[in-house]
Amino acid sequence: MSDLRTEEYYLNMGPHHPSTHGVCRMVLKMDGEKVKEIEPHIGYLHRSIEKICENRTYAQCIPILDRFEYVTAMSCNYVFALAAERLASIEVPERAEHIRVIMLELNRIASHLLFYGVTAMDIGALTPFLYGLRERESILDLFEMTCGQRLTYNYIRVGGVSRDLPNGFIPKCHEALNTIEKKLADYEGLLNENPIWLVRTVGIGVLPAKVALDYGVSGPCLRASGVQYDLRRNDPYSIYDRFEFDIPVRHNGDCYDRYLLRLDEIRQSIHIVRQALDALPEGDFKAKVSPNFKPPAGEVYARIENSRGELGVHVISDGTKKPLRVKTRGASYNHIAVLPAFATDVLLADLVAIFATMDVIMPEVDR
Amino acid sequence: MQGGIGNMGIFKDIKALFSGMRITSKHLGRHAITLQYPEEKWEMPERSRGVVVLLSDKEDGSLNCTSCMLCMRACPTAAIVIDSPRDPETKKRNLKKFEIDFGLCCFCGLCEEACNFSAIKLATKYEFSSADKDSFLWDVNKLQEVGRDVDYIDTRKKKKVAPKKETTPAETKSPEKKPVDQKGENS
Repeated sequence: MSDLRTEEYYLNMGPHHPSTHGVCRMVLKMDGEKVKEIEPHIGYLHRSIEKICENRTYAQCIPILDRFEYVTAMSCNYVFALAAERLASIEVPERAEHIRVIMLELNRIASHLLFYGVTAMDIGALTPFLYGLRERESILDLFEMTCGQRLTYNYIRVGGVSRDLPNGFIPKCHEALNTIEKKLADYEGLLNENPIWLVRTVGIGVLPAKVALDYGVSGPCLRASGVQYDLRRNDPYSIYDRFEFDIPVRHNGDCYDRYLLRLDEIRQSIHIVRQALDALPEGDFKAKVSPNFKPPAGEVYARIENSRGELGVHVISDGTKKPLRVKTRGASYNHIAVLPAFATDVLLADLVAIFATMDVIMPEVDR
Repeated sequence: MQGGIGNMGIFKDIKALFSGMRITSKHLGRHAITLQYPEEKWEMPERSRGVVVLLSDKEDGSLNCTSCMLCMRACPTAAIVIDSPRDPETKKRNLKKFEIDFGLCCFCGLCEEACNFSAIKLATKYEFSSADKDSFLWDVNKLQEVGRDVDYIDTRKKKKVAPKKETTPAETKSPEKKPVDQKGENS
């Protein structure tokens, strides 16, 4: 068999491949079943969000940015509001900050639950998808009763949040957190020891810490490679410095670690939400900000840690009511860019696992 | 760590597979958490942002809108089009056209927030999909008609207004309640 002549060939994966989480096209140079080279082609989901924001007032940018990274739209709301608040030096009421932290962390849990389900489904286990989405639903219900939408929230505003927490939110939130915490044991029971899952993920797609740092990988993917870097700790924003939580780190950098790390993070987020709910003060939920406020000229880069990594927005103001330039930075872009550097010499089926555990979503890449 | 057929991990693997089956089988006896959608429906939360409607006065059924155009300016997608020329004599605005294009609307709720007169609201209704693009352009009559039974809290400052001439509710022209000039700015 060894003298059989083989030939390398090109394979198009995507743009509509179900495991690319959006529309990403990857041109793969294949040698049999082995992936030799990856060339990601992006831009199928480009909606020119940055340019659209230049023609909107600061308040109007927020619903547009909801569509930037719609799995954790709260963090997109928040990062832009943070940038505008820093530009205009707006003081945010205490209650609003607590509500924001609750929402951001709930959104992180929802995103990780979606990750859990979708990754498992990509790799071939259908049951976890239903489990993950079921618990995510309870969080989306909380969002819906708070701000009226399940995906594009438009809840966090410059100077606070748009509405106060509704009646019955706190008990319902505790209930949802308790359920999720209980169900986490189920999630782990389904996959953690499952031999098929282990064969598909352990030792697959090892992302070395140096490569990750070189390519600007952030978030859970970086922490799974052994680098303890979390903006909630390293560059604290909002009131995260008041809460007690751990930054989970794992050291192998393979698909299995990236998966486990996110389950760890769900636990930490539950812990943060509980602390924030307990410490929730009375008071205003929004500072008085005119919808057409004009921040002074200047520029600011605000960055937060969302469920995928560093989410940043660079806003340049020229003193008018509309931003002169808005530049967004999503972690998924770097997560796609790093693929050619480490995901070579793997089986095609493993590439799906790697892509899924990098937790890339395409709207964040293409904007 | 890696189990497989070739080593002693086989018993561990079988055990893990069965523990997964056990978790799944726990769900055998419970009720479905989904709903049979067209027959059964969720009750939407009060704040749910569905279709945009124009609200009418609870007493006389006239439009609350004073055509101050705040919602039009707040709209990030320019889905709201208002035409309300000023009457040259009374200096009041006359609502000539109020259209919302739901093909553009992104249901952000900024219009509702901008409104000072409890005139526009995102109601909890949601089933209005259509295969016809033109049917997404709702004019003032339709917006008012859909908003008739929508409950809302009237936050307008009660100011006694002399009852206007009779206006049919479905007519495009709404009675003017307040001068717009002073209210339009305190957004």
